[in-house]
Amino acid sequence: MDMSTHNLDIMAFFVSMLIVGIGVALLATGIFTSYFGAGKSQKIGFVLLFFGAVTLTLIIDMAFGTIGVMPDDVFLRPAFEDALVSGVSALSGMVIGMFVILFVLMKVDTVEDLEDLDLDDLEDLDLDEELKKLEEELKQDDDGEEAENDDGNSEEKE
Amino acid sequence: MNTELIISMGLVGVMLSMLGMGLLIAYYGSSKTRNVGFTFLIVGAGLAYYLAEIGMDAYPNQSFMNGMLAFVGGMIGGIIGIIVFLIAIIKS
Repeated sequence: MDMSTHNLDIMAFFVSMLIVGIGVALLATGIFTSYFGAGKSQKIGFVLLFFGAVTLTLIIDMAFGTIGVMPDDVFLRPAFEDALVSGVSALSGMVIGMFVILFVLMKVDTVEDLEDLDLDDLEDLDLDEELKKLEEELKQDDDGEEAENDDGNSEEKE
Repeated sequence: MNTELIISMGLVGVMLSMLGMGLLIAYYGSSKTRNVGFTFLIVGAGLAYYLAEIGMDAYPNQSFMNGMLAFVGGMIGGIIGIIVFLIAIIKS
């Protein structure tokens, strides 16, 4: 396997996708923050949205030369298209992999995992009896507090 | 050209999910779930072996490496964007 890096087109592939990644992240976080945020956060969301849109517009202009603001020879169009296809394919592959994992995990019977838990103690518990005990304890606590309050009042009167 | 790139990079994505999720499930899962995690790990390792040894003959080497470069660049760019968002939110 040839892992040499001297022939790699770093400017066309790495830098272009780096800027696209920043733009997409800014745009996505901007949309969420401007929609769900309030007050100052919402303003920050609009700023992020603006910068994300500007970043993406500029990189599209640099690659395709559609607007004419930036020099259109910074990123070569075929290389940029390949880079975009690579990034989107890898992300799609990750999403498909996640769905496969979820599907397999949902299909696999995981009842054995629950059987590993020691549920014998819970089965032996009589919930009514436990509830009565708790109520009695609470009553005793209340009676104790009332008795203490009565003693305090009688001492003050004396 | 593009079809090969799409397939190879798609396989890279599936491999990354299998390895990442397989590690988590194999570590935190118990009994049957753990076994499924190990299966995911094996599938991920198999895909990595395929891409590194066999797939290199099938896919053009340079375009695959450039595709990996683009994917890594996109991921780093996304992380930088999220860090910028966090700094903006935390500082306000």
